[in-house]
Order: sequence, then C-alpha cells, then structure tokens
Amino acid sequence: MGSLTAVANWRSWAVFRRNALVYLRNWRTAVIPPAMEPVIFFLAFGIGFGGFIEDLDYRGTMINYATYVAPGLIAYTGFGTPYYEALYSAYVRMFYQKTWDGILATQVELPSVVWGEILWGAVRGMVNISIVAVVITVFDLLGVVDVKLEFLVFMPMLGFVAGCAFASFALIFTATVPAIDHMNYPVFLIGWPVSLVSNTFFPVEPQSAALRALMQLNPVYQLAECARGLLVLGNPGSHLLGLLGSTALFLVPCTLLSVRLTRRRVLGD
Amino acid sequence: MTTAILEARDLTKSYGDRVVVDHLDLSCRRGTVLGLLGPNGAGKTTTLRMLYGFVPPDEGTIYYGGKRFSENRAEAKRMIGVSTQDDSLDYDFTVAQNLLIYASYFRPRVENLEGRVAELLERFDLTPYANESPHVLSGGYVRRLLIARSIVHRPSVLFLDEPTTGLDPSARLDVWELIDGMRADGLGIVLTTHYMDEAERLSDELLVIHEGRNVVHGEPHRVIDSVLGDHVIIVPRAEPAREDIAAWLRDRGAEQVATVLGELRVPVSKEDLAALTARFGEATWQVRPPNLDDLFIALARRNGRSR
Repeated sequence: MGSLTAVANWRSWAVFRRNALVYLRNWRTAVIPPAMEPVIFFLAFGIGFGGFIEDLDYRGTMINYATYVAPGLIAYTGFGTPYYEALYSAYVRMFYQKTWDGILATQVELPSVVWGEILWGAVRGMVNISIVAVVITVFDLLGVVDVKLEFLVFMPMLGFVAGCAFASFALIFTATVPAIDHMNYPVFLIGWPVSLVSNTFFPVEPQSAALRALMQLNPVYQLAECARGLLVLGNPGSHLLGLLGSTALFLVPCTLLSVRLTRRRVLGD
Repeated sequence: MTTAILEARDLTKSYGDRVVVDHLDLSCRRGTVLGLLGPNGAGKTTTLRMLYGFVPPDEGTIYYGGKRFSENRAEAKRMIGVSTQDDSLDYDFTVAQNLLIYASYFRPRVENLEGRVAELLERFDLTPYANESPHVLSGGYVRRLLIARSIVHRPSVLFLDEPTTGLDPSARLDVWELIDGMRADGLGIVLTTHYMDEAERLSDELLVIHEGRNVVHGEPHRVIDSVLGDHVIIVPRAEPAREDIAAWLRDRGAEQVATVLGELRVPVSKEDLAALTARFGEATWQVRPPNLDDLFIALARRNGRSR
C-alpha cells in the first residue's frame, strides 16, 4: 500500500471512524471547551484589545480590528486543532494506550493509521472551525464584527484542506519525540510562533523579499488570508490557490516522512 | 498429517551487522499448538513480527494457507489473529465494543457480527461485563478479552505472545482451557511463553530457537531428550563431594553443568548416571526427568558463553 494512496483505502477510514466514535462518546467535553476558546479570544483581542486600535485598511476596505481578527481565529483554530490533535492525542493513542499496536495487528497497515490520524485531525479542525463560525455569527448579529456571513459555510472546508497538512506535519514530531514532555518543542517553538506570525491576530509585512516569499509557503498565512478575503471582501484573491499549493507542498513530504518515522518507531523497522 | 496453515522457510532478519533471525524454518498445522521457545534475545519477537507482517524478512518466505504472504498480504492478514503480550485494548470503548470495533478492521466483514460478539462474550465468560469499560476487568479477564478480540474475525492462525504472563495460577489455568478449546476448534496456534510447564502441556510441537537459529524442533519430550539426555541429577549445596562431582562430570564431557541457588544441576545420560553412581556411591543427589526449565537454563548458559 502506497503511503499517499492509502488515503483512499477503507483501512484509513476505519481508523478515522474509530477516533470519530470516541469523539462522539465524549462530545460534551469535546465541544464546549473549543467553543469557549474563540469567545475568550474575541473578548480579549477583538473587543478588549481592539478598543485601543483604530480601523484598519484591508485591501482598500476599512474594517474594525474585531472584523480583522475573526478570520484570524478561523485560521488559528484551523491550524491549532489538527496540529495539537496529531501531537498529543495521537501520541497518547500510540504510546500510552497502544491503540495503534492493536490496530496494526489487523488488516490495517501503517500508512492507513497515519492517514486515519491525518483525516481525523483535519475533521476535528472542521468541527472546531464550525463552532468558531457560530461564534462569529453571534458577534456579527451583535454588531461587533461585520463579515459576509454567507461565506462562513466555506470555512470548515478550507480548514479541512489545510488541516491535513498541519496534522501530517505534527505527526513527524509524534513519531520522534522521546516522551510527551518533549512536545513542548513543537508546541512552543513552532505551534505558537507560527499561529501568531501568520496574519492571524495582526498583519505581518516583512521588508525582506525572501521572508515575504517564505510567508507564501505558510499554509496558516494562506488560510488566514483566504478566510479574510472571503469574509471581508467576498473574494479570496490569489490566496485560495496559495492555500491549495502550500497545503500540497506540506502534505506530501510530511506524510511520506510521518509514515517512515512512525514505521520505525512503532514497528521497529 | 494435515497441511500447514502457516509455513515459513529460511526466514532471516538482520539489524545492522547483527543477525537476529538466521535461516529459520517453522510451520503450524490446523488444530495444533506450536510452542515457540527461546531465551531472551533468541529472536522470538523478531520472528513473530515477521509472521504478523510488521517487518519484512531480509530473506525467506512466509506462506499462509499455501500462499505467499508477500503476494497475498491482505488475504493472509485476514487469516491471522494476534494477541500481543502488551495490553492493547481500546479503553475508550466497552468490552463488547472492543470486539465490534476490532472487527471493523477486517474485510470481508465478519458475518453475523452481533451473533459472533455475543458468542465470544459467552465463551470467554465476559457477558456480565459486556457494557462495562475494560478498566473494571481483572488481569485474567483482560487477557480473555484480548484473546477473544484476536479471534473475532474467525482467523485460521492465532498468535499468542506470552498469554499468561502476570496471571495468577487460577487465571492461567483458565487461559489454558481456552487455548485448548480453540485448538479443538481447528485453529493453528503459535504460542510463546516463558512458563515451561505451559509450553510442555499445551504444545503439540516445540520449536526452540537460540541466537536466531532453530536449535531443536519436535514433540516436547523429544525436544528435551535431544538436547538434555535421559536424566537430570541435582546435587544439593550441602553435599561435600559437590565440586568433585562437577569436575568429574566435566571431565566426561558434560557441557551443561549449572548451579542454581548452590545446587548442581546436570543433565546426564543413562551411562553417565550409572558411572556416577559407581564413582560417588556415598554422595547424595536426586535424579529426575529433564524438563524445559533445564533446557532453558542450558540454552541461556550456552548463550552467555557465546557472548
């Protein structure tokens, strides 16, 4: 079974189904905290912090800071949910619960375990983005933000696409960190900086052409700008293509590497 | 003689410069238990991992149902059940759900799955816990559930990796009964264990491996006879002639002179026993048939020397 083609195999979806069933069993604890996080971020950044900031010029349209932050929260959630799911939850399943050992003793092959986790991380991202979309809708109705609500329906789908890349990236660390404490490296040295410097909560406009080019390769940046373009202007501009391209650029090598590293860690080969 | 449901020929696996499994042959027939034995580091785990399909052999071929594993992987994996030594139960689900979710990892799908799960719960005495978390199960019942789970898809070959490790004597006997029942159902079972009595009682055939190679293979009593000989003498720690006896036996070519808690344990032939009696008639010792414990001690010592 090919490491990339396994995505279409029933085995990958069997692993995905297993994770989804566990989520549905624990849906209360799985839904309420993620719903609270964007509310808190909105209150802290959009209303609290935003009260001190003047309106911004976004591609020729003046918007308040809360409106700027709303798509950023979509990107932040779309990155953080699959990234942390594939770091922590997948690690627990692999190392502590030995769930993968049990699964691999069946007809399910290792690339499908990896893909099952990638797909599940991406769908978790979709679910949490949907929750954020509901929160944004409420704030829009309250007049705190001003977004094109009809485009909110596309946000979970964009999140799913990018979420596959983020989960596959995280699984590289899951397969390599010696202990769960070492997750601090991918969390604090990669997760936090990336989620902050990707036009999520504030615009980043580097002077250097190289840095600007590098930003184009960052799927979190592309997701934030794609969501912002749609929600503020009704037009994602070049960022839809940018999102698809940067996702593919991450997803393919990260999946191949994740499969290889997980094989070495779990199967000792 | 029934056809082997599992056959492996010339299996070889190396990690770096170290040959872990070295041209090993094995086979298992339907309705029989093959005991796979060897001291720690003998290559059992690597052999099992090749047979499960976790790692590919460097050389050699594995057949399930007469078909090459490498060419019929999905079909072959549908034929095998694996109960690993580690507890890999899914604690996010109930006991019954563990069986259901495990069955979802196989195609073709398990026929009449609900009935199959009910049958296994009943047979493994798990029905009272069907809707409970596996957390409530004792060690013995966890092992029952692991074994039940490994056969939910009705495999033809079952791998049991140290199925009674950590169980109390009563739970061990229960697992023995279950294994015996599954053998009677026609399953081919590959059993690894460190309990020698378990291997002797349950196995129809034993394969003893050492440094990745087949040391001896056959029915349990023949395996023991071929490596150890007719008797084992045990000379107590307090016997004044103990060292003289050891030296005398070594002079006669005894290679497996072992000391266990001060006692001397030496496998001997009938001829050596007769000569020993004539030479050390005043000394005190016990004589008993050799068992797999003696075999393991002998292999472990041989292993120590070779290192």
